[in-house]
Amino acid sequence: METLEDIKLAKDIIQALTKAKKTIRMYPDNNPIYIKTIDDTLSRFTDFFNLRDELSLRIKQNEIFFETEQIYHNPEKDDNLALFLFKDGLRELSFKKGLTKEELEGFLRIISLDFDREAVDDDIVTLLWEKDFENIKYIADEAFILEDEDYESRATTEVKEKAPGIDELHKAYAEAFRAEDVREVSIVNLTDRDLQLLVKEIERDMEDKIWKLSEIIFEMLLHAEGTVEYEDILRFIKDLIVYCLKQVDFKTFVDIVKMTKAASENTALPEVVSRQIKDLLSFISSDETIRHVAGVFDSGVEIDENVLNEYTEFLNRNAITPFISALGEMQSIQGRKRIINILIHLGKKDIQTLARGLQDSRWFVVRNIIYILRHIGDKRAVEHLLNSARHADIRVRREAIKALGELKSPLALQTLRDSLDDSDPSIRISSVKALGSIGSETAKRIILERVSKKDFRNREFNEKKEFYETLSRWTDAETADFMLKTLRKRSLFKRSRSDENRACAAYSLGLIGNRDALPVLERLKGSKNKLLREYVNAAINRIEHGR
Amino acid sequence: MVDREDIAITKDSKDIINQLAVIIRTAQIHDPNNVAVLTAIERFINTVNPHLSSSSTLHLELVGEFFYLNESRVRFPMEYLLNFDFLIREFRRRGLGSITVSGPLTPVDIQAFLKAFISSAFSDEPFSALSEGVEDIDPLSIGPLKKIKEDGQYDIRKVVKRTYFNAVSFTKGVINKIRSGERVSIKKAKRVVESLVDMILQEEELLVGMTAIKDYDEYTYHHSVNVSILSVALGQRLGLSRKALTELGLVAIFHDIGKMEVPAEILNKPTNFNEDEWRIMKRHPFWGVRAILKLKGLDSISIRTAIVAFEHHLNYDMSGYPKVSKRFDLDFYSKIVSLADQYDAMTSSRVYSRIPMAPDKALSVMMERAGTQLDPILFKFFINMIGVFPIGTLVLLDTKELGLVYGGNTMFHDRPRVLIITDDRGNRIKGTIVDLTKKDSSGRFLRTIVKTMDPNKYRINLAEYLL
Repeated sequence: METLEDIKLAKDIIQALTKAKKTIRMYPDNNPIYIKTIDDTLSRFTDFFNLRDELSLRIKQNEIFFETEQIYHNPEKDDNLALFLFKDGLRELSFKKGLTKEELEGFLRIISLDFDREAVDDDIVTLLWEKDFENIKYIADEAFILEDEDYESRATTEVKEKAPGIDELHKAYAEAFRAEDVREVSIVNLTDRDLQLLVKEIERDMEDKIWKLSEIIFEMLLHAEGTVEYEDILRFIKDLIVYCLKQVDFKTFVDIVKMTKAASENTALPEVVSRQIKDLLSFISSDETIRHVAGVFDSGVEIDENVLNEYTEFLNRNAITPFISALGEMQSIQGRKRIINILIHLGKKDIQTLARGLQDSRWFVVRNIIYILRHIGDKRAVEHLLNSARHADIRVRREAIKALGELKSPLALQTLRDSLDDSDPSIRISSVKALGSIGSETAKRIILERVSKKDFRNREFNEKKEFYETLSRWTDAETADFMLKTLRKRSLFKRSRSDENRACAAYSLGLIGNRDALPVLERLKGSKNKLLREYVNAAINRIEHGR
Repeated sequence: MVDREDIAITKDSKDIINQLAVIIRTAQIHDPNNVAVLTAIERFINTVNPHLSSSSTLHLELVGEFFYLNESRVRFPMEYLLNFDFLIREFRRRGLGSITVSGPLTPVDIQAFLKAFISSAFSDEPFSALSEGVEDIDPLSIGPLKKIKEDGQYDIRKVVKRTYFNAVSFTKGVINKIRSGERVSIKKAKRVVESLVDMILQEEELLVGMTAIKDYDEYTYHHSVNVSILSVALGQRLGLSRKALTELGLVAIFHDIGKMEVPAEILNKPTNFNEDEWRIMKRHPFWGVRAILKLKGLDSISIRTAIVAFEHHLNYDMSGYPKVSKRFDLDFYSKIVSLADQYDAMTSSRVYSRIPMAPDKALSVMMERAGTQLDPILFKFFINMIGVFPIGTLVLLDTKELGLVYGGNTMFHDRPRVLIITDDRGNRIKGTIVDLTKKDSSGRFLRTIVKTMDPNKYRINLAEYLL
């Protein structure tokens, strides 16, 4: 018999469950609020179990009863704990003393699921059934699953009607004596080896079954009859592809693609089907598939390089645009790297499409595309990169200039010349290096022209040094003469700036290894300017001793 | 009242039973003072005694096929299967039903128990001998094996019956819905199978007995449910988890779904199929895969169901159909469902095979197929589950009475419980159930099976008596 105190504690539990049902859904399991909710709810149960060994709740549509006492009532459809439990057929719920925190958490996680919104294939009774809690029991009304309420009585009647008549029983009896003697079917003892093999088989059975189904679907393809069957099978293959990717099973995905490719080359299949399979192969390069692939890449799952390379081979140029879109969405460096590598491979097939990525509004995507174009090394990219060298973002400009340099196209010279006057010194340095990479006579002239300008001496020493270092790539007389001239040049004004130029010229001559410069350098060995002195000595050392 | 002790016991219960089996096994081979026996005893005591404080007792009881420790059923893991089976046999051999330990045990107590236990097996009245042998062991007492009363099963039989017909009715509804292109609730399907699994865990024999109902007109639905029940029952013997059993049961219910597409005139053809008709019939595994994948799309259940729908007619040696271009390992569930399917199909009257086999004959045929068409290890489990005389077998006893096998006997497989349907002159009598292990005062069995017959030939069906 319930007492007032029991009832109050039971009500407290219902209140705690109602609250927890909402809270558990909202927070991850390491959140302090989540943890506190479970602790608080458990403590309500502990209070109750100090008085009683079991809390048994009867569930009605809008009410919950503790024995004869109604402890919950809610006539509303929403947020109705009673209705939530009732609608799947739950009629009684019992919690026993000994209820553990893990059990309670498991229970709360079940009741906090949003069955209307989440794609849950199970109802609350199934989830409780699967958990098989030691201290949480329930009674469910199975009328919920009845398809035909009268089936049982009808079937029973029919079976009884078909019961043998007396004559048949007599016949059976008469013939029984002529029947065969009992057969020897002995019970077979299981051996330890049987069990070991069985355990192994059960362990093997844990493996994912998607590959097995794929094998079956491709078998079916070989034996299909008629358009409808072929269409269904091809749709199943497409579903398998998406399913593997959703399951982050990249290897099986690639294996299925390989089988699809092989099927497309199977001459035993009708031509129209082969064409449809080829269409299916183009699905690999579709926006939908690539979105899933990007998800796999971003998941952090390990992917074998060979598998990745195999996959890349199956892609066509249609995959470029979706991959560029995906590039902008990637969260992980590893995922981005994988896409970049794929685009380096794919971009070779269609530079134009790849270059469209340079119009992307996200600076990092543009920079990645430039990086990709640079690695592809196709000069056709230059015309697209010229604009990027004027991009608002310094990081993009720097990458573009680097790419232009590596592509060694004369078309880039004007842009690089302009970039030598960029407001950012790092861009100016990149530009001079790019010109150095191009290495042409014109490139040299552009640099010489720039360093010859009067304002050049006002630039920072490091930048000037980069310019002179780049010039050292040209070992011709003109460059050497220019250096010697600079080395000899003395200035009355801004002498230290001028000496910086001279030091850079000495550095450059040292790098060139020009022995003709030695007399001039010797004269400057004792220069009062420390910087000039150091660089001159270093140059002499390098020319004379090669170090 | 549940206390902490009980929770701790639950955790150790598997080990307690396993170690009890180990000490008995070891003691049957070695002298009780042998170091192997002593080590096993020590390990057993270390597991048991911590639970035996002054206020608590340990009560181990054998009920049906299962052990209960302090009234909680002990589920055993696969690696303990042999020892659990061994212990069940040893308990039954002595008519021993329970052991109660009310205080800490000493090695001397265990040695005395082992001595009494082993010697009792050679006595004509083993339980009495064992009782006398353990009398002086203070903390230990034993109880006889309780017989499950047939009368007491009236209510549970009703529940089993309802569970069975719910499943058949559901299957019929599902197949009709699929035929008419309606959506099918997988949630409901799971609930149906869960109820089957629950029944098998509690009342395996009765539910397996229901598979004797072979309704000719509703064959497809009954067959689907029967295959599901037999598969789950076998899965249970194999130690599969409840969740896996549900998956297996679900997969089995849908194994023949592809037959929906076989034209009715072929499916219902009363004579043998011609070559073309067979060709069409053999396509049902393909159609099964299609139906399942169209029904639900891909997820772990539909994948498994489709695999089994495709493979359930493929044999262990890859004979059967459909023919496949390369060899692959058959799915574990496919092999289970295939066994259940073959057995139920053989023992049913079907349109394309009008004469069903008697259950025992079906088993003989299957035994010949074990190792070639059927997985030999799974078949061992299957035959042990079904028994030498499967439920529903029509038998003539040496008393000239006619009966139907009603329930198995794990210890004496050739001595099941039989429902007598005629007296020794062939007159119909209201069924009474007799136990073929019963002996007269001179030690001779009261009844023995001498002949088995095909019950279907005479339209005699156990179902009539079960319902």
